[in-house]
Amino acid sequence: MSEVTIFVDGEPVPAEAGRPLGALMHRLGPAMRRTEEGAPRGLFCGMGVCFDCLVTIDGVADRRACMTPIRDGMRVETGLAGGTPS
Amino acid sequence: MRRIETDILVVGGGPAGLSAATSAAGAGARVDLVDAGAAPGGQYWMQDPVAGATTTQSAEGSAAIAAARAAGVAIHSGAEVWAAFPGGEIMAHDAEGPVVFQARSIVVASGAQDRVYPFPGWTLPGVMTPGAGQRLAKLGKTAPGKRIALAGNGPFLYAVAATLASIDATPKLLLESGKARAPMLGLLARHPARIAEAVSLLAAARAVPNWRRGHVVTEALGEDRVEAIRIAPVDDAGTVDTARSERIDGIDALLVGWGFRPMIELTALLRCRHAYDRALGGWYCVASPATGLTSVEGVYAAGEVTGIAGSRPARLSGALAGLSAAAGLGFASPGNEERRKRLVRALASARSFGHELGRLAPPPAGIADLANDDTIVCRCENVTRGEIAAALAEGTRAVAGAKMWTRAGMGRCQGRVCGSAVAEIAASLGGTEIAAAGFNPPRIPLRPVPLPAVLEATRAAGTGETH
Repeated sequence: MSEVTIFVDGEPVPAEAGRPLGALMHRLGPAMRRTEEGAPRGLFCGMGVCFDCLVTIDGVADRRACMTPIRDGMRVETGLAGGTPS
Repeated sequence: MRRIETDILVVGGGPAGLSAATSAAGAGARVDLVDAGAAPGGQYWMQDPVAGATTTQSAEGSAAIAAARAAGVAIHSGAEVWAAFPGGEIMAHDAEGPVVFQARSIVVASGAQDRVYPFPGWTLPGVMTPGAGQRLAKLGKTAPGKRIALAGNGPFLYAVAATLASIDATPKLLLESGKARAPMLGLLARHPARIAEAVSLLAAARAVPNWRRGHVVTEALGEDRVEAIRIAPVDDAGTVDTARSERIDGIDALLVGWGFRPMIELTALLRCRHAYDRALGGWYCVASPATGLTSVEGVYAAGEVTGIAGSRPARLSGALAGLSAAAGLGFASPGNEERRKRLVRALASARSFGHELGRLAPPPAGIADLANDDTIVCRCENVTRGEIAAALAEGTRAVAGAKMWTRAGMGRCQGRVCGSAVAEIAASLGGTEIAAAGFNPPRIPLRPVPLPAVLEATRAAGTGETH
């Protein structure tokens, strides 16, 4: 396990490989996406049950940040800044 | 596609699942264990993905994982079960794609999730379950916030306070709905072996600077994240006195939960019999106290899915189910029957403690009524309490009716998060028992899987290769 760099909405972010992406995303700000109505949502159950922490990872939409271990070079899109709501 | 034939498939890698797998493999059965986590251990024996076992509790877990491996159990981590069919076919999915298990017997040890009820503001980022706060700390070494409020009821809140303290994130505020101390002292007097654990949990609660009993959070306030909360006193009958509510500012994380809910999706899909007891977390899978067998032949259940009782009964019921499942397939060594009898006795005592504890800390009776008409109840489909109430007023009934009329429970989580609340709202508005409202039946896929994986798995199943 080691210090790696991932990209969140294009910005490089130092991260620790192996830890859940959801924890890092929560540290960057608890909102991770917006609903179709525009309401912000973030981590809620943290165990893969509630599907509130959905982000796009390496081009694949609707991935649960809480269930995804961090890997070097991972590209995460939140859809918070004018992206497609999920 | 990977297709694995095995004697016994254990679903779930927490204390119940690991114990079941180890005891079944020890009896001579071929055992595979499938678990959704990146590493086995479940919630109670959670392993730090970077540092390994760092606490006594996780060290106990890593010993249990090592024991399972030493007994020959094949552990499949990071694999979520999304379908199960009569005849022992279970479909899972991991990072590499589909994997199909063909098992002669199944032990379901799917565990539990935090039980939650809606209230105004509960969808704001920064509001999460106590379990989520604990996972943030344990797996992510991340504090849920700088000024944390921890709320709900039950001893798990104290355990979360202890975990948060271990990463220097002691909550500022602990709110418990319960007040009575005497029944807890009475319970401990009857189970003196649990006193040391209780004392240590109590110390974690005392370390919280502001500990309020007899209070609930009635609202989370904020723009794009939680910034403040409103709290109010609650009496023993569960009535919340909103006239005496007060606002607490400067809260950046709110962890609120009401004990646990058994994760019955797989046992429900397998058509096992279930029963309802609010003190045991709601709907749970009925399993024989003598063997762990469910109402379906070849399907055993162990741990929290059989009713919330804690980690000790989980381990014992797991060992019992594993032993019984192996014996049912003809794997039995001398001494097994004696061991089974000892497990049955120990389990009865451990369960009675866990069940009594659950009865001491129920969610307040009207907790689902904290939501007002505009409050979202179903977080997936954004269905409000007002929409559910309107559907019920128009004549639909129970959880199933509310779902068809409003889509509450029809989203990605299949009602696992809002189900308890929808049932209690339907019961309260319809004047029926909560149990009469039923639960959301699970549907395949239990968890989202890519369509090609579904096609690949079901095509392989259709070939009848192993039947």
